[in-house]
Amino acid sequence: MKHIKLILFICLSLCLTQAIVAQTATDPPAETAPAVQPPAPPGNVILKDLPNDEGHGILVRWDLSPDDGAGRNTVISYDIYRALSPSAPDSLWMNVGTVVLGTKRYSDKSVEKDAPDFLPKKTDLYYRVVAVGAGVRSTPASAGPVQAYDNWFNSMKMPELIFCIVFLILTVRFINMAKRGIDLYVRPLAGIEAIDEAIGRATEMGKPILYVLGIGTAGDIATIASFTVLGRVARKVAEYQTSMIVPCCDPVVMTIAQEIVKTGYADAGRPDTFKEDSVYYVTSQQFPYVAAVNGTILREKPATNIYLGYFAAESLLLAETGVLAGSIQIAGTDQVSQLPFFVVACDYTLLGEELYAASAYLGREPLLLGTLKAQDYLKAIVLVLMVALLALRVITGADVISKPFDAPWW
Amino acid sequence: MTSKTAMRILMAIVALIFLFSWIIKSGSGVSDSTFTNVRDGFLITFAVFLTLSIFSFLYHDNPFYKFAESLYVGISAGYWMCYGFWSTVVGNFVPRASRSLSEFFHVPYQERADHILIYIPIIFGLILLTRLLPRIGWLSRWSLAFIIGTTAGLNLTRYLRSDFISQVSNSFIPLFVDWKGAGDFINHISLAADGQFIAILSNWVIFVGVMCGLVYFFFSKEHKGTFGVASRIGIWILMITFGASFGYTVMGRISLLVGRITFLFGDWLNIL
Amino acid sequence: MKRQIPLVLVFIFGVLLAIQYFIPSEPSQKGYEFVLDWITIIGIFAMVLGIWSQIHVGYYKIRHRAEDWKYSVVTMVSMFGMIFLGLSPFGGLQGTTFRLIYTNIFIPIQATIFALLAFYIASASYRAFRARSAVSTVLLVAALLLMLRVIPMGPLADPINKIGSWMLLVPNLAAKRAILIGVGLGGVATALKIVLGIERSYLGKD
Repeated sequence: MKHIKLILFICLSLCLTQAIVAQTATDPPAETAPAVQPPAPPGNVILKDLPNDEGHGILVRWDLSPDDGAGRNTVISYDIYRALSPSAPDSLWMNVGTVVLGTKRYSDKSVEKDAPDFLPKKTDLYYRVVAVGAGVRSTPASAGPVQAYDNWFNSMKMPELIFCIVFLILTVRFINMAKRGIDLYVRPLAGIEAIDEAIGRATEMGKPILYVLGIGTAGDIATIASFTVLGRVARKVAEYQTSMIVPCCDPVVMTIAQEIVKTGYADAGRPDTFKEDSVYYVTSQQFPYVAAVNGTILREKPATNIYLGYFAAESLLLAETGVLAGSIQIAGTDQVSQLPFFVVACDYTLLGEELYAASAYLGREPLLLGTLKAQDYLKAIVLVLMVALLALRVITGADVISKPFDAPWW
Repeated sequence: MTSKTAMRILMAIVALIFLFSWIIKSGSGVSDSTFTNVRDGFLITFAVFLTLSIFSFLYHDNPFYKFAESLYVGISAGYWMCYGFWSTVVGNFVPRASRSLSEFFHVPYQERADHILIYIPIIFGLILLTRLLPRIGWLSRWSLAFIIGTTAGLNLTRYLRSDFISQVSNSFIPLFVDWKGAGDFINHISLAADGQFIAILSNWVIFVGVMCGLVYFFFSKEHKGTFGVASRIGIWILMITFGASFGYTVMGRISLLVGRITFLFGDWLNIL
Repeated sequence: MKRQIPLVLVFIFGVLLAIQYFIPSEPSQKGYEFVLDWITIIGIFAMVLGIWSQIHVGYYKIRHRAEDWKYSVVTMVSMFGMIFLGLSPFGGLQGTTFRLIYTNIFIPIQATIFALLAFYIASASYRAFRARSAVSTVLLVAALLLMLRVIPMGPLADPINKIGSWMLLVPNLAAKRAILIGVGLGGVATALKIVLGIERSYLGKD
């Protein structure tokens, strides 16, 4: 029995020793473990001036480290460093960016002169790309020198340039055609025809015409479009000897509007009847402006209210007050969100592009009709493109190209 | 009773209610200072008076509305002038124009070589002011020409991407989403919002909608025959959109009232 | 001289700014920033013209005792009062009285005018419901469908909701695109007419 106990004890001790040895073999003590090997460095670093910029950008490209997604698979990210000399000490290599594994390019861009990582133009720059693993870093892959330059054309904007050139050519062509006396047809637009009637109505009623240019500044193209209509309305108002009220929401707009209305009166041969106070400034804030215009609508009871330009939430406030005053109302804006309110509350609404076409309709001058025709041609080009791509799908089986102007295929 | 007398009686009643509210509100103030309580009592009563005056416009134009409107316009014009002065003149112009002026207004002077250019807009600005002098008023057109020219130039190219190119580009959408032949399509027709049928239908509606919408905006071609049909579909699509946007906005607009009702019945009358 | 110089200025600045869009280089970007700054600064001078216009109109009414001249007095007093308070170096925009007036007079009126929209949208809806043509009927039906979404409709609620959301997403997108493409074209055409001097009414007659 005693021996059995001894044998059991020896066996147990052996087993325990074996277990401990096995454990230490699979889990060696930290101080004796060999260090994790750093990943292999990325290869073939290529530097290039960043295209389409103001000269403070460098495009850094590299081949992935063999340990990125393959090999030992230890790469987590890449650090990009920049210095003014290839032999600069490590402390002068500035970390300008970090990208995650699998990335092969980085745009180093810094325009602000006071920023610590400011990238000077026309200066030799050197780059290092380091693959980073868990607590370990590869040896750097270096390249340089490279210089950043100003670019004189943004190639990403090629579609806009082509568009402008095509538009210009078409406009000049149609203007020449119109000048030669070739009749350019324009379809009737109810909202525009209503302006003439409305001025006549105002004359009969002995009531003024209210012209609202919206709450935009002179920098809004809708306001500029409205200016072009205002000139023609003012001329007709002067011819009919009716009065006109133009409350403005911006002092620059007011100044331009005064000049336009004055010109309209002069064109009609009645410069003496123009009253400068008929075009006046109210205030530059949206709702105070609306409050004042609404008061004017209810007090003056204009025969016609014309709202053309840039409008926001005040569209409905103005148009509904106009309904209360019993005025004929003609509105037009390029603001899609406000069009529903004008459509519901006004007698006539010029939708989007119709606002821009209005001056050509009212003026009927060949030069203006020429641009209108050019607009139509561009729409036709868009339509043809859409149909052509659909046909391409039917014929080839490949689905239509998605977003054709976003990728720089040119 | 003439309308003038009626108006006088109404004004007297409003004045009485105003006084009464002022006294009550001053008495229920929470501050230790009597002046603050009286001031706050006045301000809340005045705000209520102005709120009701503006609402009275819904009935018809009246002296109360006229008063509130005139006050509002005056305050706004004054506020805007001050805001422009502090933000543009002091905030933008002074730090670049003069060291002594910067010190006077306690703004840091920014020393830069191109400061001389700041005098160009000043010259244009002064030229603009010649409008006030009838003999040389025409000079102001130079400034107007500068403003109009630059804004036209900006608009000529700058919004092309957002308003034209991106819109055209985004209209090229797949019209046969996940297409595996007509048989497969018919077998799997479903009205589920994420189904293939709805996806294809929606993309076709967008495609045809954009095309017909563009046709509607053709000015130099008579809207007759096929062109007329497309134009008609175009205006229908536009109207569906306007109707939907209108209907969608109604509840949002009505909820605007809630704030004012809470102010009148809560802050003023304390019954909410 | 009176018309030629402005036309030349419009053309030069118009073309420069249009071309600038395509040039990313630093001088071009700086030039762009300068021009934007310049417009803001000229705007301040224009503000003087605006205030002058207001004083002129107000003074005329008060002096000739025109109808409602008393309200012009209110506008003038409140405007100059605000200018006095807001420009005073002791308070400026942060002055106590200036802020009190802004929060207790300006803001309540502003909120109330905005709230008027609630009544106006109701009256506009009423008008929309008297559809006069096929086109306005389409608008009415679409509007109704969207409005019905907020009313408990029992078993109909789900389809109405779905159709409403679909309309807001799909035809809406198509219409917006068509309008925006047109607006883009119209905007370019208008800008071109200005730069080329085809539209020149703002330059006066002589």
